[in-house]
Amino acid sequence: MQHAIPVASLGPQAQPMADAIGSCVHCGFCLPTCPTYVTMGEEMDSPRGRIFLMKEVLEGELELEVALPFIDNCLGCQACQTACPSGVNYGELITPFRAYAEEHRHRDPMDRAQRELVLRTLPHPRRFRLAARLGRLGRPFAGLLPASMGSMLRLLPDRVPPAQPLPPVFPAQGERRARVALLAGCAQQVLAPDINWATLRVLARNGVETVIPAQQGCCGALAMHTGAAERAKPQARRNLAAFPADVDAVITNAAGCGSGMREYGLLFKGEPEEQAAQRLSDRTMDVSAFLDALGLRELPSVAPDPIPVAYHDACHLAHAQGVRSAPRKLLEASGAVRLVEPAEWELCCGSAGTYNIEKPAIAHQLGERKARNLLATGAQLIATGNIGCMTQVQQHLAALGHDIPVLHTLQVLDRAYAGTLHTKEHTA
Amino acid sequence: MHDMEERVIGALAQLELGDRLLTSPAAMASFGSDALTAFHQRPLAVVLAESVDDVVRAVRICHRERVPFVARGSGTSLSGGSLPVEGGIVIALNRLNRVLSVDPDARTATVQPGVINLDVSRAAASHGLAYAPDPSSQSICSIGGNVAFNSGGAHCLKHGMTSNHVIGMTVVLPDGELVTLGSDSTEPAGPDWVGMFCGSEGLFGIAVEVTLRLVPVPEAVRTSLAVYDSLQAAGDAVAQIVSAGLLPVAMEIMDALAIEAAEASVKPNYPSGAALLIVELEGEREVVDGDAARLDELLRASGASETTATEDPDARGLIWKGRKSAFSAVGWLAPDYIVQDGVVPRTRLGEALAEIDRMSAEAGIRVANVFHAGDGNLHPLILFDGREPGAVERAEHLAGEILRLCVSLGGSITGEHGIGVEKRAYLSLMFSPDDLALMGDVRRSIDPLELANRGKMLVPETVS
Amino acid sequence: MIDTTDHVEAIAEAIRVGPRVLPVAGGTKPGLSRASGPDVVALDVSGLRGIIEYDPAELTLTALAGTPVAEVAQALADHDQYLPFDPPLAAAGATLGGVVAAATSGANALRHGGVRDFVIGVRFVDGTGRLVSGGGKIVKNAAGFDLPKLMVGSLGGLGVMVQLSFKVFPRPRATTTLAFDLPSREAQLETMARLNRGPVQVDALDLDRSGVLVRLGGDPDALAARARRLCEGVEADVQHFEGAADAAVWRDAAELSWVPAGSRVVRTGLTLRDVPGLDAALAPFAATVRYSLAANLAWIAWPGTRDLADLDAALRSLGRTGVVLTGTGTNAATDARTGGSRLIGAPTGGSFGSRIRSALDPHARFLES
Ligand SMILES: Cc1cc2nc3c(=O)[nH]c(=O)nc-3n(C[C@H](O)[C@H](O)[C@H](O)COP(=O)(O)OP(=O)(O)OC[C@H]3O[C@@H](n4cnc5c(N)ncnc54)[C@H](O)[C@@H]3O)c2cc1C
Ligand code: SF4
Ligand code: SF4
Repeated sequence: MQHAIPVASLGPQAQPMADAIGSCVHCGFCLPTCPTYVTMGEEMDSPRGRIFLMKEVLEGELELEVALPFIDNCLGCQACQTACPSGVNYGELITPFRAYAEEHRHRDPMDRAQRELVLRTLPHPRRFRLAARLGRLGRPFAGLLPASMGSMLRLLPDRVPPAQPLPPVFPAQGERRARVALLAGCAQQVLAPDINWATLRVLARNGVETVIPAQQGCCGALAMHTGAAERAKPQARRNLAAFPADVDAVITNAAGCGSGMREYGLLFKGEPEEQAAQRLSDRTMDVSAFLDALGLRELPSVAPDPIPVAYHDACHLAHAQGVRSAPRKLLEASGAVRLVEPAEWELCCGSAGTYNIEKPAIAHQLGERKARNLLATGAQLIATGNIGCMTQVQQHLAALGHDIPVLHTLQVLDRAYAGTLHTKEHTA
Repeated sequence: MHDMEERVIGALAQLELGDRLLTSPAAMASFGSDALTAFHQRPLAVVLAESVDDVVRAVRICHRERVPFVARGSGTSLSGGSLPVEGGIVIALNRLNRVLSVDPDARTATVQPGVINLDVSRAAASHGLAYAPDPSSQSICSIGGNVAFNSGGAHCLKHGMTSNHVIGMTVVLPDGELVTLGSDSTEPAGPDWVGMFCGSEGLFGIAVEVTLRLVPVPEAVRTSLAVYDSLQAAGDAVAQIVSAGLLPVAMEIMDALAIEAAEASVKPNYPSGAALLIVELEGEREVVDGDAARLDELLRASGASETTATEDPDARGLIWKGRKSAFSAVGWLAPDYIVQDGVVPRTRLGEALAEIDRMSAEAGIRVANVFHAGDGNLHPLILFDGREPGAVERAEHLAGEILRLCVSLGGSITGEHGIGVEKRAYLSLMFSPDDLALMGDVRRSIDPLELANRGKMLVPETVS
Repeated sequence: MIDTTDHVEAIAEAIRVGPRVLPVAGGTKPGLSRASGPDVVALDVSGLRGIIEYDPAELTLTALAGTPVAEVAQALADHDQYLPFDPPLAAAGATLGGVVAAATSGANALRHGGVRDFVIGVRFVDGTGRLVSGGGKIVKNAAGFDLPKLMVGSLGGLGVMVQLSFKVFPRPRATTTLAFDLPSREAQLETMARLNRGPVQVDALDLDRSGVLVRLGGDPDALAARARRLCEGVEADVQHFEGAADAAVWRDAAELSWVPAGSRVVRTGLTLRDVPGLDAALAPFAATVRYSLAANLAWIAWPGTRDLADLDAALRSLGRTGVVLTGTGTNAATDARTGGSRLIGAPTGGSFGSRIRSALDPHARFLES
């Protein structure tokens, strides 16, 4: 599509945005996989529509405030990028555009307060743990608060597992085949510390030594994906310093964090850190992709009666990082499961970072739709690769009256090794 | 202008559609183009129809207020078909997306117009049935759009186009009258009004319910790839297959540039060469086996440097994904492209391709070719960079020359994408003034005010 | 090239003079070609005869509208091709124009489609005497309105066809026919529905008094195996027809040899679901019916002694429309009640139809129905 975006005057992020817009041919192939188009049925709430609106805004043809409601509706799931035959890098458009919008938009005070609260709480394990406890007390009042604040409270877990501090190094068992550094994650550490432990155990069993750099902090994805680029940068800088260069890979086990770190290069585009940031991005890998590429050294024993398991593709893994087959292969290799494929795999579950806080109604529709699709497979266990999805899916399964466990791929593998994989157990 | 805008929006407000009446500048901007972005026009308003009644009432208001309207399915028209009309409104049908019924005994399905093409086959799959016409855009284009353009696809060689599969419909005429055409039987009695409506590019009103014929899902499907060292050789192979009395369900050709685009995009892993011929056979096990043996023999004899064949659904899926993504995928090769849709008699394919090649070299403009070879339906993709001064005009000129070439070889300026706004000027290459006058008469007999999709296909005569 | 100028001019002139004209060629469907009033002039177009263009590699054929179907079929057969819509009454002398105007698809059209699916181009003289064309000579064409399809079933009421182009296909290299003798109507219909859903693709699927008739076509080597598969799920006595016997079964169908003398033939579209209803409606009148195209079509032999108005009412109650093809044994007195109309039963097209008529025939030179 032709455009007249004044690239030179819009800063270093303008070129990737213009490139994404330029390579869109307006064919609409992305529409059926876009969660907002599918639920709202309006062109403005489709990837094609949003790309067009962003083009018009950047060209100065349309006022930012007019376009923003539709940009804000975007979950950033990047399903459109997977579907696009024309190679539009939507992620490199929406993230900088949101940063651009944040600089130029007007937000009302309530909105700002909530945003501030989320951005200051979720990325900090200690604060989040505290909020989770306090939040439980506040839940009876949820109905009195604005809808999105209420939904934020409802998202908080009933009980928070005890903190389980991670060691600085988790050694490989037997001969060492690789050495990696692990991003420990924020909310995940609080909600499901077992995911990190499962990751460490499975890696170790397969000859991988894991270091957990103490200085690391939040990956910054949450801020980055909501337009708070300036808030993300210090977080990213901290990680640039914290993660060693002498490891085979930097491993993430939360899809959102992984895709965030893989965008560091874009975040620092045109700045002194750009090269270092890009190098870290290039070394960052989801644990499932890493393990699949390395190959499992030891296979769990094959169970006589495999459990039907539906793998739910987390958007930030499947769409943003293009990882779909690796987790499936690992699950199959676990010997304990029979994979069943849900319909509409490409459709977001509505969790999408802070989306279910900001747009609770759409998030709810998507969550329920996802839960129904998963249930239709007859699965007795759901596996996925992202903590946000786990919480969302679990909640919506429960709302439909189904108490099916939802585990991280690595938790399934870990339990398969331990011979403790049962359908009736729960997360955490 | 402003007064009229207010009058129209005021009138539409009477419909009490709530947030289904869109007028915001952002909404108007995003509905301003279809898949031919060279044209853009913001409508005055968009009505998101959710019932037949919504459509009827919106059309009646348009008729009363003399406002032109454009029906829109998924907005994937490549000829400006769903481009809004200046001073007009858009009636969006994408929410009318229910499959109303599937009748396995009669092998029919009745659907709303906003149903996505592929969703018909999905709904029929449990009965072992499918909807045959498969435009490359089938994952998103709507049945209403397919009907309006009589859309085709790779598998139309054997199965025919959309109009061969539409047997009945309910239509809102441009003055709001609701009529039923055809029925749920494949055999019409009296003039084939349904056939006449198909391909009328939205000029006869809005189809609000459509009855489709379904076909049995074939028991065996075998897809062959054959590589040739020239497009001409691949084209000749097609003619030989036809002459030998084989009737494949699809025969498609891609040239090196189109293959490159597909590889950049969905990575179908095609064998490389100057031209790739895809031939698909389908049917009963015994029939496919018999035909496959004859086909392999023919391909060998036709000078293919490499042939492979597969019945694996995933491998076949990837072959077709590569083919069906080819238009959008040329986005990898050049910032802009024009896709043409000319048809030539199939025996003159080789000649046409050689000539296009010559014209492309002469103009210094790259042209990728990916086309329905079995039907002689060419899709030259003219690649250019709109930022270069004069590039658009040069590309458009070449596109025009290619259309002239097709007509001079006894073909047509469009096989399936329709005339829209884009090829209106070329219609007179194919039709005499009398022919065109008659088409105008027919149009105005249905829609004297020329409200439905004004300015598409035919140059409007009366402007209110 | 055949020069048609004189013919076309004569047609245009006749239309201009009026008062009303009815194009006639082979006369095989007298119900349609009978000039039904003193002001109607029968316009013989059988002189517009001859194949204009036929290149087997192109799979298309263009001929003048008065060309006999038999002549075309022979030319195609010489190259192992055929008209897949299987036009009936070829032996009796049906012409291409008549087949298109009457939309008479035959039994073997089940495989690839009917007349409407194979007409790709037309030249005709409209009600103002203009010679116009639509479509083309290529198999795929989306330019302009689909006037060729509009001519299908037009009964000479929208224009006088001069020239037609068709898509053609390779013909099956061998054919065989099976007749299933099933115990009940229910079983017959159930079998038809099932066979129609595949996986074995049949060329024809009819239901006549003797039972369900199925024709298979294709590669001679595969026919026997396919026939066996076809029989697998059907519990019935099967009779096989090969060679000349196979051909005879379908020739009888095409030439309407089964129609009792003195009957009128009415052709109506319907669905399998309508069969019991039509059976019941016809029973009191001793009418015979043959269902074809997997019961998308009924050929009704209506006794000449019976009032056509009764059939009209029966079709209306089913929401179906019939075309009165032959008028043998016409009962003029009773026909008056249907106004001598060639279309009976439920009306079609509504105001869409009347509006288009007004464009093509503004001075009402042609017969409407
Ligand atoms: C990448 C790509 C590949 C394509 N490949 C093919 C192909 O292989 N074959 C092919 O034939 N086409 C192809 N197309 C073109 C396009 O997809 C078809 O023309 C399709 O039928 C349009 O459907 P739509 O729902 O998007 O219609 P729209 O673009 O929304 O509308 C198309 C036209 O139909 C009218 N219309 C829509 N709904 C109705 C209705 N209910 N009643 C009356 N009129 C209506 C509109 O007014 C407009 O004139 C392709 C397009 C793209 C972008
Ligand atoms: S990122 Fe997701 S929600 Fe946003 S436009 Fe793309 S598909 Fe739609
Ligand atoms: S699929 Fe890609 S090129 Fe097509 S509209 Fe969507 S983003 Fe644009």
